Amino acid sequence: MRALLQAEWYKLRKSKMVPIILAGPIIGLFIGLTSNLEVDSHINEWYLTLFSMNLTYALLFLPLITGVFASVICRYEHQSGGWKQLLALPVTRGKVFVAKYLLIMMLVMAMQLLYLCSIYAVGMMKGFTDPFPMEIVWKSILGGWVATLPLVALQLWMSILFKSFAAPFAVNVIFTLPSIFAINSERFGPYYPWAQPFSMMYIGGNTEDVFFVPWDQLLTVVGGGFIVFFLGGYLYFQRKAV
Amino acid sequence: MIGKLLTADFLKIKRKGLWFLTALGPIGVVALQMVNYGVRKDYLLQQSEDDWSYYLLNVHSFTPLALVLGIAILTSFIASIENETNAWKQLIALPVSKLTVYLSKFTVLATLLLLSSTLLMVFTCAYGMFLDLGESVPYMELAKYSYYPYLAALPILALQLWIASVSHNQGIPITVGIFGVIFAYSAYVLPDWMIWKWPSLMNEWDEPIINVLFGLAVGIILYIIGMIDFARRDVK
Repeated sequence: MRALLQAEWYKLRKSKMVPIILAGPIIGLFIGLTSNLEVDSHINEWYLTLFSMNLTYALLFLPLITGVFASVICRYEHQSGGWKQLLALPVTRGKVFVAKYLLIMMLVMAMQLLYLCSIYAVGMMKGFTDPFPMEIVWKSILGGWVATLPLVALQLWMSILFKSFAAPFAVNVIFTLPSIFAINSERFGPYYPWAQPFSMMYIGGNTEDVFFVPWDQLLTVVGGGFIVFFLGGYLYFQRKAV
Repeated sequence: MIGKLLTADFLKIKRKGLWFLTALGPIGVVALQMVNYGVRKDYLLQQSEDDWSYYLLNVHSFTPLALVLGIAILTSFIASIENETNAWKQLIALPVSKLTVYLSKFTVLATLLLLSSTLLMVFTCAYGMFLDLGESVPYMELAKYSYYPYLAALPILALQLWIASVSHNQGIPITVGIFGVIFAYSAYVLPDWMIWKWPSLMNEWDEPIINVLFGLAVGIILYIIGMIDFARRDVK
């Protein structure tokens, strides 16, 4: 397993991944510096910036970019019979799938951490003096990461299924755009997996809960979605003709 | 020559899902309004005196997003048809100039998007009539909200086709497309010169036609730059 992860890592280093990961903090800086919501209340000045940054970042950017990560991870294998070469090695297909999945989740984590830096940078540039709300920011960074678990599983499945980048991306877009509506709905919002990154990074949520959403919602929607998509992709990959 | 290239390009996109996506875009945009009006029709009708205009504005709130993402998907698809099997080399080896190859790809995409905009108009009109929003259907406004964003988005199409056709790694044009949709989503804070703001038809003079004219002009300029760059590069 370690050797497999290492092999994936080497392939990744030649995949022009760095500019794509940097997209996260760049978008964060862009939204943070352009947002100019003004209210003169006594709440911590970080909250308003965080609120508008997390809205755009978690609603559209995070679900969409995870799909790109998944496609980039499968790119070498789709080119000129890479799947054949990889699977001819003494590895099981299950392990290959898990290794690729773990690597994508690591990349998402790296991007979330860079986004955290961009939040801090925005605050510094705007000259905030209030204390940095460490606990809330951590919750939303980790929450956003957890919420992408099922999304990444589906995207990895789609990326293995389709050879081109555009097809998995189209699937991703079809599911992500409706979440703009879903978050406005009390009834559907909590059950829509693509709206979860937003709900779990939404700092206005109930701070009593871990990750701003109730435990049962976390377990059923995120956990359930993860199991369905991960098993779907895993079983598909077992049977895929290479 | 261009006629045969176009025939070839239209043949290549058969059975790849591009026609399906072209139809799905407008269907999706109107379907979101079906959900919106289905859930809270009474509330939405109370919001304004002019129900048709308000409905068109609601539809238009999603059009730029769908358009920007649709452009990114379609251009990347068209480029990967050639990339996947290293077909650029074979295509260029034919007795055609590289400039016409590029023109043909652009024409196919522009046609697909034009079809998409037309479908948007038809679906918007049909659902609006179904909602019974009033006797006089504002056909002019309907056409405006369907075709203006398309024309204003031409620079984005030219830019995305340029990036997609010269990148070996299709992750790059897709990432640019994601940036585009974030910009389109926050169009109201963008300065007027950003091309991703134009499909929203907003500008400081409140004259949508300006966006259309700029779209056509800058679209042609970006198209020419992309075409020349494509022609100068080596095909690997």
